Amino acid sequence: MAGLSVVEAEQTAVSAGAGLRVENVTHVFETGAESLMALNGVSLEVEAETFYGIVGPSGCGKSSLLLMMAGLLQPSEGRIAIGDETVSKPLPEDIGVVFQESSLLPWKTARENVEFPLYLRGVDRRVRERAALEMLELVGLGEFANRRPHELSGGMKQRVAIARGFCQNPDILLMDEPFAALDEQTRMTLGDELLHLWDRNKKTVVFVTHSLTEAVYLCDKVAVMSARPGEILDIVDIDLPRPRTYDMMATEKFGRLRARIWELIRRTQQK
Amino acid sequence: MKNAGRLLAQLAIVAAMFLFWEMAVRTGLANARIVPPPSEVLPRAITMLGDPVVLHNLWITSAQVMLAFVLVAPIGVAIGLLLGESDYFGRAFKPFFFFVASVPKSVFLPVFILAFGIGFTQKVAFGMFQAIFVLVISAIAAAESVSPDYLKMARAYGASRRQIYVDIYLPAMLPVIVEGLRLGMIFNITGVLFAEMYVSRAGLGHLVSTWGMSFQMVNLFAGILLAASLSIAVNELLRWYENRVGAWRG
Ligand SMILES: Nc1ncnc2c1ncn2[C@@H]1O[C@H](COP(=O)(O)OP(=O)(O)O)[C@@H](O)[C@H]1O
Ligand SMILES: [Mg+2]
Repeated sequence: MAGLSVVEAEQTAVSAGAGLRVENVTHVFETGAESLMALNGVSLEVEAETFYGIVGPSGCGKSSLLLMMAGLLQPSEGRIAIGDETVSKPLPEDIGVVFQESSLLPWKTARENVEFPLYLRGVDRRVRERAALEMLELVGLGEFANRRPHELSGGMKQRVAIARGFCQNPDILLMDEPFAALDEQTRMTLGDELLHLWDRNKKTVVFVTHSLTEAVYLCDKVAVMSARPGEILDIVDIDLPRPRTYDMMATEKFGRLRARIWELIRRTQQK
Repeated sequence: MKNAGRLLAQLAIVAAMFLFWEMAVRTGLANARIVPPPSEVLPRAITMLGDPVVLHNLWITSAQVMLAFVLVAPIGVAIGLLLGESDYFGRAFKPFFFFVASVPKSVFLPVFILAFGIGFTQKVAFGMFQAIFVLVISAIAAAESVSPDYLKMARAYGASRRQIYVDIYLPAMLPVIVEGLRLGMIFNITGVLFAEMYVSRAGLGHLVSTWGMSFQMVNLFAGILLAASLSIAVNELLRWYENRVGAWRG
C-alpha cells in the first residue's frame, strides 16, 4: 500500500501494536438531581493485536465504556491507558471507531467518508484519496467510491464505516455493535470480511456485540458484563484456532463457549 | 431527459391555464369587464417592461425586497442557530417565536406606519418583520437536524472546533437553511407588496392597488402577472440552489 506511506510514516512515531488497559473504571452519569452509576470497577487487559469482545445486557454501560476508550468521555474513577499513556482525549492516530449505522456523513461520497479522518489531520489530498480508494477496494466497494450513503444498502454503509476505521491505520479499532442494524446473513458476511482485513492488518480490536455467536466466532476473548451498573462477570477465552471457519460453529467446543457466555448473561438478567 | 420531459409538461399546464382563461372570457363564462382575456393582458405586461414609470416602481419594490432580505437573513439565521444550539436560550425564547409565528403579521402594519412613517424604510422593516419568524424557525430546525452521531464520530477522529463547524454543522444545515431562506423570501415579498398596497406612494403594490381602484383591469392583471413572475423567479432560483446543496438527502 504505497499510498499509505505518509500516513504510515506518521504512525510509526506512535508505539507500534498498542494494547489497551482499563483500570478499575467506574462511571456515574450526573443528570440534574439524579445520578446513575453505569459502570462499577471495570478492569480489562486488552493485549495488542487481540480481537476482544464485550457482551452484556443492554444498558449495562458497554457504549459508555467504548466512549471512554475513545477519549470522548472521562471515567469518574479509574483510568484507561494505552501503554503508559492515559487516554484523556481522542487520539485519532492511535484509535479508530466504528459505531452503529448512521455515522456516515450523508453529504459526502463513500470515498470522502473513508478519507475523512485523514482529511481532518491535513493529509495531502492525493495521498488520502489513494488510501481511501484502496480501502474501498479491500471491502469490495471500489465501484461505489462516488456514491453517497443514501444510494448504499445497510451492509455497504457499514463496509464504508469499517474502511474508514482502517483507512488511517490506527493500532486500535473500537467497534460498538457495528452490525446490529443488519440482517443475519449480511452480518455473517461482514464478520468474515472483518476477520480477513484484521488478518492482513492486525490491530487491537474491541468489539461490542449482542450476538453471542458473533462474539465467539470473531473474538479471542470475550468479557461478559453484568446488568447495570456494569461489572465484569468473567472473561471467556475463545481458544478456537484461526482462521475461523463456518463449520466451527457446529462443533461442540463452539457450542460450549457460547453456552458459557449465555449462562453468565442469563444469571445476571435474573438478578 | 427526464427533466426535459417534466419541464415540457409544466409548460403545457401553464399554456393550458392561459388557454382556459382566454376561453372562459370569450365564451362569457367570466365577465370580460372584470376579467380581461390574456390576449390583452400578456401584451400589456410586456409593454409595461418598457414603460419607465412601471420600471421605476418595479425597481423600488425589488430594492426594498432585496434590502430587507439581505438585512433579515443573517439576523434570522443567527437567532435560530443560537436558539437551536443553546439549551438555555432555546428553552427561554423558542416558545415565544412559535407563538408569534402563528399570529397574522399583517395586523401590525399600522404600527410600522406609526413608527417609520410611510415610505422605503417602513416597507423594508415590514418585509423583514414578515420574514423573520419563518427564518428563525427553520434555522432552529436546521440546528436540531444535525445528528449527534456525526459530532461524536468527528470528535473521535480528532476534529477541531473549527472543523466541526465547517465540516459538520455547515453542510448538514445548509439545505434546511436555504429552504428557510426561500420561505422567508416569499413572506418578505408578501410583506413589501402588502405594505405598498395598504398606503404608499410608490412600488409595484402601489401601482396594482391604484389600477384596481380606478378600474383599469388590463393594467391590474398585467401588474399581477409581473408580481407573480417576480416571486416565482426568485422562488425557483432559491429552490434550484436548495436542491443542489441538498442532493444528498436522497
Ligand atoms: N449521556 C448520558 N447521560 C445519562 N445517562 C446515560 C448517558 N449515556 C448513557 N446513559 C445511561 O447509562 C447506562 C449505560 O448506557 P450505555 O453505555 O449506552 O449501555 P449499553 O451500550 O450497554 O446498552 C444506561 O442506563 C443509559 O441510560
Ligand atoms: Mg450501546
